[in-house]
Amino acid sequence: MKNKGLRIAEYLVTLLVIVTMNFFLPRLMPGDPFLHLSGDAGQEIVTFTKEQQEYFAAYYGLDRPLPEQYFRYLTGLTRGDLGFSYYYKDDVAAIILRRLPWTLLMVTAATLLSLILGIVLGSYSAWRRESWQDKATYLFMIIFSEIPAFLLGIMFLTLFAAALGLFPLSGGMTHFAGYTGWEKVKDILHHAALPVITLSLARSGGIFLLVRNTLTTVLGKDYMLTARAKGLTKRRIRYRHAMKNALLPLVTRVALQLGGMVGGAVLVENVFAYPGLGRLMRDAVFVRDYPLLQGIFLVLAFGVLAANLLADLFYRTLDPRTREGELHGKQEPDNGEQEGSSHVLA
Amino acid sequence: MSRNISRLIGVKNISFLMVLSMVGLLLIAGCGGSPETAPAPQTPLAQAEGTGAEDVPRDPVVIRLEGGDWGYCSPFTHYSRGPGIFKMQLIFDSLLERSEDGYVPWLAESWEISDDGKTYLFNLQQGVKWHDGKEMTADDVVFSINYYREYPPVSIFFGGILTDPDYLLEVTAVSDYQVRFVTSEAKATFLPAAGLARIIPRHIWENVDNPHDYLEPEAVIGCGPYRLTDYNKEHGTYRFESFEDYWGIQPRVDVIEFVPVSDTILAFENGEIDLTEIPTDLLSRFQEDPEFAVKVNPGFWGYRLLFNYERIEVFSNKALRQALAYAIDRQDLADKIARGAGTPGNPGILPVHHVWCNPDVPQYAYDLERAKQMLQQEDLTDLSLTLLVGQDREVRIGELLSEQLAKVDIQLRVESVDLQSRDSRIRDGQYELALVGHGGWGGDPDYLRSRFLSELSDWYTGTPGYYNPQVDELGQRQLSETDVNKRKELIFQLQQVLAEDVPEIPLYNTTGYTVYRPDKYDGWMYMFDHHNLTHSKLSFLDWK
Repeated sequence: MKNKGLRIAEYLVTLLVIVTMNFFLPRLMPGDPFLHLSGDAGQEIVTFTKEQQEYFAAYYGLDRPLPEQYFRYLTGLTRGDLGFSYYYKDDVAAIILRRLPWTLLMVTAATLLSLILGIVLGSYSAWRRESWQDKATYLFMIIFSEIPAFLLGIMFLTLFAAALGLFPLSGGMTHFAGYTGWEKVKDILHHAALPVITLSLARSGGIFLLVRNTLTTVLGKDYMLTARAKGLTKRRIRYRHAMKNALLPLVTRVALQLGGMVGGAVLVENVFAYPGLGRLMRDAVFVRDYPLLQGIFLVLAFGVLAANLLADLFYRTLDPRTREGELHGKQEPDNGEQEGSSHVLA
Repeated sequence: MSRNISRLIGVKNISFLMVLSMVGLLLIAGCGGSPETAPAPQTPLAQAEGTGAEDVPRDPVVIRLEGGDWGYCSPFTHYSRGPGIFKMQLIFDSLLERSEDGYVPWLAESWEISDDGKTYLFNLQQGVKWHDGKEMTADDVVFSINYYREYPPVSIFFGGILTDPDYLLEVTAVSDYQVRFVTSEAKATFLPAAGLARIIPRHIWENVDNPHDYLEPEAVIGCGPYRLTDYNKEHGTYRFESFEDYWGIQPRVDVIEFVPVSDTILAFENGEIDLTEIPTDLLSRFQEDPEFAVKVNPGFWGYRLLFNYERIEVFSNKALRQALAYAIDRQDLADKIARGAGTPGNPGILPVHHVWCNPDVPQYAYDLERAKQMLQQEDLTDLSLTLLVGQDREVRIGELLSEQLAKVDIQLRVESVDLQSRDSRIRDGQYELALVGHGGWGGDPDYLRSRFLSELSDWYTGTPGYYNPQVDELGQRQLSETDVNKRKELIFQLQQVLAEDVPEIPLYNTTGYTVYRPDKYDGWMYMFDHHNLTHSKLSFLDWK
């Protein structure tokens, strides 16, 4: 129990560090939210006069000393106030909440899909290790996971949306069509399909490798021999004895991968003009919107941390060895996980 | 327990994710669709058509354009970029409007300027209605200006003028339809400043003391030709409907919709949007097809090369600046970097498409021999300089410049940083040579003064360390000249002086191509000082 408390304290400290870095990092970037001299080609920018710059800086409290701003930010946070965006002219929490569901939809659906894809193909590969099917699958997965997500997105966009017309070109839904109920859900899924597939393909390589590796390790273990000696069916050995153990590290993997998933989502959302947090983040960086940047980073960090915490707790229930490890004070890492993780994390 | 493990991993973990994604989906389906504005009472188009009984019945014209979130369309909450500004301007009218040729009377049907150029009397249109049915009067104009002096809007032309209490002494309503502005001195830029300030309804804004976070439906009530009937921030969609009681020239476009677009060309070809800009490579494809019309945009966006006079002493040598102008092949930059969609920079600073561009200034045609000779005469050999640039295209410009200058034995090192850093460093004077690209080159030529006047020597808008008494004198004289023709003459002289003196080098102005389907809609036009067809309010109205 004491251990658990410590664990939670650890998370709290991490969170405080993140909040602090969130506050200072954007402000360390060169640039000023009210200074725009130039833009992208063709883009027209309002260049504020000196007076306007000072007015806005004072209006948003940017003329105060940094420690005071920091303190205000922290006290605001405790009240759940994430601040007010300079560029978007709206409450940061409101802006984020309106975008979050889209990213949530995409990231979870892609996680799900990449899990299924990774597990199915990974186990397929492991059981046929060194065969040509294994090699072909391996090659396929490596290629897809090494192509940057945005490039894959552009390929899909041109092929499936523009050339074949199977999917919409952009956005999260059809606008001004007045869909309701089931029609609307279908419309949203139709729009989400390409971004989700892109992101899943780009991210399933890691899962595939992990499953393939751990399963191979597990298959070589003594208890597999025992199982075979007992005359168990192939099916039973594969799914009850091997898979069960091989899939354990996936829990950690999914939580760890969330960060990368969100990173991929940023790129994919930009390709498909998908209305999620990723697009917002890119724009916020470009215009140096400090409160919004802080807010987005905080939400993302919080999400990843929460996923890790969940995985931590989840793992304990799943794997009795970690609980025993708790009693003895020292955990014995699972071979498969170590090997698998180091491989995919590298 | 162990039995449960596989179930947990295999099923529950996944079902947990399924639940999550369903939650996401439900959240979107539930709230994502509700527009931020309370959908203003939508007049069905057919009905609006029906009321104008005598009109020839026609199908409503619905134009779709590239969307993206540019902010809520009040003068205080749109984003500080072109697409944010023009959407707001569809809703809010001003005393003057910009046509292809210049300023035209709008809410002010006429105006008089006193002989000393200090007092302006605007005569307003009568019977102008706000979108909520109330009448617009001189009172609203006075209120708008005073309100802006307290709360600066996001975008305002020559904003400093209206907000400077020492300059604008008094704004009064002489009658319900006459407004008088009294200023402390004659200034040519006052007319566009006052004329383009958006008029906002007093009965709404007088109770608002937080305009920058005022997001109510009332915030987008103007007296312009369009009403905002839908806005969605996260999708970046807008829907504008023509205002049936509009006082002025009637809208030709009934509905303007802005929708999210991933790739504008693909979207245009699929008919999802009705107008797009295209790169040079695709020009032939659209030019040859009668289904499309292509317009060449005027070059009011451009790159210029800044000298830091305070840091590098030799820049104060005019011969060096002229030699650089000879050594830089501006046409080559326009050909290679802008792929031909550009005009070489004009040494007179105002770009060639500017309505007041002086075509007779020295051109500094590319001449390596001459440049070398001038450098040798001044004993300026083996110069080594650093050029500060932004990213991507700017790096390529920097590299090309570096190659070009190497031919006259000037070593140019290119330093690339992100745009924001570059802007900060220019503001702080932390550069030797800097490349900067921006729009607004077509605007009022007073920027020749604010950029090169020795008194206004802050890094942000001016050129510290640069001093030319002739520029100072002409710059001041044109500003206080309210007679348009005399002022134009002064501006022409000023360009001549600047071209001779080369205080900076305009590299090239991007032109670019806009393509649309004339069968769908052909009313597109530019404003005299602007390069985007969609940003002109007149593009959507029955002008001429």
